[in-house]
Amino acid sequence: MYRTCDGLTRRDFIRVGILGSSGLTLADYLRRLDAGTVAPAKGKSAIFVYLGGGPTHLDTFDMKPDAPAEVRGEFRPIHTNVPGIEICEHLPRLARCADKFAIVRGVSHTLAGHELGTMYLNTGNRPIPSLVYPGYGAVISKELPGDPDLPHFVAIPNTPQTPGYLGVRYAPLQTNTTPVAGQPFSVRGISLGGGLTVAEFQKRRDLLRQLDTTFQGLEKTSRLIDGLDKFDQQAFAMISSPRARQAFDISQEAPSVAQAFGQGRFGVSCLLALRLIEAGVRFVTVTFGGWDTHANNFRVTKDTLLPQLDQGLAALLTMLSAKGLLESTTVFVTGEFGRTPKINDRAGRDHWPRAMVVLLAGGGIRGGQVVGGSDAHGAGPKGDAITPDQVAASFYHSLGIDHRKEYQTSTGRPVMIVRDGAILRDLFG
Amino acid sequence: MTGVVQPVLLGLMGIVAGGVPLPAVEQRFSVNHPTEVPSFQRHVVPLLGRLGCNGRACHGSFQGQGGFRLSLFGYDFAADHAALVQGESPRVDPRHPEASLVLRKATRSVSHKGGQRIVPGSWQHKLLMRWIEGGAPGVRSEDAEFVSLEVQPREIVFAQVGQTVQLKVTAQWSDGSREDVTPLCRFRSNDDSTAAISESGLVTAAGKGTTAVVAFYDNGVVPVPVIVPMSDRLGSRYPAVSIPTKIDELVIAQLQKAGIVPSERCTDEEFLRRVSLDLTGTLPRPDEVVAFMADPSPDKRSRKVDELLERPSYAAWWTTRLCDWWGNSERTGALGGEQLLNGEKARQWYRWVYRRVRDNVPYDRIVEGVVLAVGRGPEQSYEDYCREMGRYFQRGGADFADRPTMPWLWARRTVGRPEDKALSFAHAFLGVSLQCAQCHKHPYDQWTKQDFDQFAAFFAGIRYGNGPRDASMQWRKEAGLAGLDEDSGTYKRKFAELAFQGKLLPFKDLVVPIRTGAKNVRGLRAPSGRVITPRLLGGEEVVASNYADPRQPLMDWMRHEDNPYFATAFVNRVWANYFGVGIIDPTDDLNLANPPSNPALLSYLSREFVRQGYDMKWLHRSLVTSDTYQRSWRPNPTNEHDERNFSRALIRRLPAEVAYDAIVLATASDAALARLHADPVGTRAIGEASGLSGGRGQVGNYAVQLFGKPPRVINCDCERSNEPSLLQTVYLRNDDEVQGLLDRADGWLAQHTAKGQSDGHGRKRPTQTKGRASDTPAPGPVITDRVELVRQAYLRTLSRYPNAQEAAIARRHLEEAPDLRSGLRELLWALINTKEFIVNR
Repeated sequence: MYRTCDGLTRRDFIRVGILGSSGLTLADYLRRLDAGTVAPAKGKSAIFVYLGGGPTHLDTFDMKPDAPAEVRGEFRPIHTNVPGIEICEHLPRLARCADKFAIVRGVSHTLAGHELGTMYLNTGNRPIPSLVYPGYGAVISKELPGDPDLPHFVAIPNTPQTPGYLGVRYAPLQTNTTPVAGQPFSVRGISLGGGLTVAEFQKRRDLLRQLDTTFQGLEKTSRLIDGLDKFDQQAFAMISSPRARQAFDISQEAPSVAQAFGQGRFGVSCLLALRLIEAGVRFVTVTFGGWDTHANNFRVTKDTLLPQLDQGLAALLTMLSAKGLLESTTVFVTGEFGRTPKINDRAGRDHWPRAMVVLLAGGGIRGGQVVGGSDAHGAGPKGDAITPDQVAASFYHSLGIDHRKEYQTSTGRPVMIVRDGAILRDLFG
Repeated sequence: MTGVVQPVLLGLMGIVAGGVPLPAVEQRFSVNHPTEVPSFQRHVVPLLGRLGCNGRACHGSFQGQGGFRLSLFGYDFAADHAALVQGESPRVDPRHPEASLVLRKATRSVSHKGGQRIVPGSWQHKLLMRWIEGGAPGVRSEDAEFVSLEVQPREIVFAQVGQTVQLKVTAQWSDGSREDVTPLCRFRSNDDSTAAISESGLVTAAGKGTTAVVAFYDNGVVPVPVIVPMSDRLGSRYPAVSIPTKIDELVIAQLQKAGIVPSERCTDEEFLRRVSLDLTGTLPRPDEVVAFMADPSPDKRSRKVDELLERPSYAAWWTTRLCDWWGNSERTGALGGEQLLNGEKARQWYRWVYRRVRDNVPYDRIVEGVVLAVGRGPEQSYEDYCREMGRYFQRGGADFADRPTMPWLWARRTVGRPEDKALSFAHAFLGVSLQCAQCHKHPYDQWTKQDFDQFAAFFAGIRYGNGPRDASMQWRKEAGLAGLDEDSGTYKRKFAELAFQGKLLPFKDLVVPIRTGAKNVRGLRAPSGRVITPRLLGGEEVVASNYADPRQPLMDWMRHEDNPYFATAFVNRVWANYFGVGIIDPTDDLNLANPPSNPALLSYLSREFVRQGYDMKWLHRSLVTSDTYQRSWRPNPTNEHDERNFSRALIRRLPAEVAYDAIVLATASDAALARLHADPVGTRAIGEASGLSGGRGQVGNYAVQLFGKPPRVINCDCERSNEPSLLQTVYLRNDDEVQGLLDRADGWLAQHTAKGQSDGHGRKRPTQTKGRASDTPAPGPVITDRVELVRQAYLRTLSRYPNAQEAAIARRHLEEAPDLRSGLRELLWALINTKEFIVNR
């Protein structure tokens, strides 16, 4: 061994454990199990709202009422409950809770294609061809281990975030469908199917236990066999315990809470996110697409996108706050880029990554403030640009994760969680 | 303590010149006022490396540290020299050597974030001081070059934990001089828990096992194997073990040294299940298990291997593995107008390889058809090329496998730039990871940035893109594509639709800079504008103008019998498929610091594979007919912790596609089973679906991804994951898809529990499922006898008979069940949920 600062070798990476979607390595898990410390984990969690397609910044949270008509568009700003902050008139509910979230303006990058921009904003690292960076949810489920009978990273209904070089064990549990207001909801595999009762399932398991004896004793020396045994226990706990099932089943939510989220798909997804976080899930993403408004930007946003965003997000922030969860839960809202200041001849706006907007709330972030800014037409940052990397570093910081921490890729290459990040201190002031 | 060590001398010592090596710097610079001026390359840079100065978190960082930057891991001598002696505030001051910043920082007489690295008055201090006093010379062009590194002892075999051995490292230079460079080396252990190594090269036996310690100096990297025996079964106390094959001989030779006794031979039923899954990705058929068990002949195992090698499932599974390494994926196909054909191209790629694996075309020839692939042939017009491609895409058209070359590897959008092609090529065919050398000297291998740039130069000019646009204007108009944006969904949908109809379309072309005559090479251009000469990895510079196709010298080089990577990478990957771990592991990291766990074995296999004409079936047969492959998974006290020396069978979770197929096969009716066996390419996850990204409606898509099917988008064998996970267990226990497979109309449950007439022999014929075509074959004979049903359930899942206790439990379960169907369903469910089912043992 030599005493340089070069970190671990590739082999250390390979020794890392195998505990499925759980954030724990198998070794950690077994140690904690032995020590009797596998208990419901308290701590930080996060909700990532992804507005796929690239939401228009000029018609939402970075309006330019003094710009020429071909830039400022059809909508007017309104006052919020924070003096001096104005947002779009079609976001009235968010305007009433603007004290709960911070608006970060002038976030700037140069990737104007959906795929690359999406990868950038979902990982906090500018994509490169030789490496797939893990999405936020993968990093967070690795860094903040949660309860064994709950999934740790849930995507509603799916997410562009992959575990990347961290490996499949940090992959999300995708719901694949979105819940419908008032109706029971469940996720693949976690609730008993085919009309099976818990008693019948228990009977199957008894039979399995009697027959699954070939490798008895081998769990002492085989990590694989030991791991399979532990997953067996955990799977049965998750399937037969009502905890995960109830968390997913939005129809069990109190009507007074559920009503605030409305009937829209996005709103109901936010309700599900709230329930999951409340139950102890570490990371939930809600993907809400349709923001690629090359044509009819104003009609589409006014009629469908903005009302849904307004109701869902406002209800989410308000309820998190009411339940006392907003301090321990960071909410991060972003798309892959903003949209062109100049309105095109189809009343649309095209891709524009140079001055987008993101929202951050909870987790120690001071709401009711604007950080950063864009120029007179929203075409570029005003003053120093804020990078997606800085937003990512701040997001991790709010969760107590050091974004400079290094991981090893499978080829032994050391990579920081966010390679070029720096914390935006103003957010926490 | 060192008396027990048996240094084993292997090979020649290099150039016999220079006689006694120069003693170590440690001695030469310990004296007061040394006269010798140290060399920048030989002494100063290695010392800075040893002290950690050029590490990544220190001055080796790309941003430098404290305004001072060194090349990472130190190989850019000119830049490092400039960083020390030039700039506004040079780090060295030859007029006042002791005032030099580099010394004051390193001794921490001024504040240094990196702490004190040098004790004042030490030999390190004197060495640096003397270099500065001597004018801080850099590397001169006439200086001798580094040739090689030699480490003594060549191998360390300890007798017990706690013993120590000091390494001695000697460098050889091109002028014949030799020098003891031990105090200037960096050292590393590949497994601290077996062998620890100090900064000065003192090796300590830390625990039982086998590993290697590595010495680094200049661009020399030398591993030294270390063995700490696992037991006292050594020498004459080692039991007699039969060694029927050369593989066994080489494996046992290693085990003897390490005091590891191999496990006994596995049973026939274990062998059949293991070899079927490993060689054909397929569970053995229930009747096959019965016949194999009943066969009394002593050579039945090797006859079974011959039989398996002729099955379509053999070709299907190994095509999937080749496509893993080569990156065949719908996801990475080119974007743009032809985008919606990417799935079809992935299928074509699969079928092209499948045909050749089936026909046992030599490995090097298959690779040649991929490496030297072209779009338009040399004599072919663009129109003819497009007509040819059209026939491959046309429904019911020509078979792509007939094409002499397979161009889709080079058409991937992930290998657009020459650098990307070089990385991908090195990974796919050489098992070498060059990522590091793309930007800096590889920390654990010999590769420098210049090596990488010269290698990448082979791929300059190879381009997959649009053909001549004028030529296709008329066809575009006729097809109704004119005026449409090629990136629009309308264009893409229309293009794919027309392609499947076989219309003449402007297909993209793979263009290779074919040279005629001795025209100058258009190599890569360095940022300085200098043209980079292509050079083979660790080999010669190539005058590419001697070749029509710049890839030809690469292919020739790979085929050369002395090539250290091409055959080795392949046999090692195949080995890992059978043994769960490569002889070099990870299998895509062939580097000097990652030595084979059994060098003689790997070298024998590579050499013999080449000598056998790259005969893949020879390789498979040799591996699986060895005793080494046929060991039991049951460990003994000497080998229970051994996972690198092949002393027992490692239990492995089934690969993703094999696992999903196993569930499908285990739950299928006899008739469905026959269909799945007959056409693995079209019906199974190990078939052509393995290259598809899994759109809606693809069978088992969720499951294969869950079980770690490789997406094949990056250059890493780690993309395939055989690790278990919680959601995999949840899937097996409770997923609707598994329930559906159990209860499906052509399933095994339906076959035996459908209502119908008894045939008078305790068997029933099921009624035809409603709505099915009348020519659908019956699912097979009906068994009603409970004992036999239990036996069949075991045969189709665990490929063995139940033991007496298992049979009793299962029979009792069937008897107590409310009805046969539910009892049998629960039994089959339980069997596919056993650990034994989801692993290969």
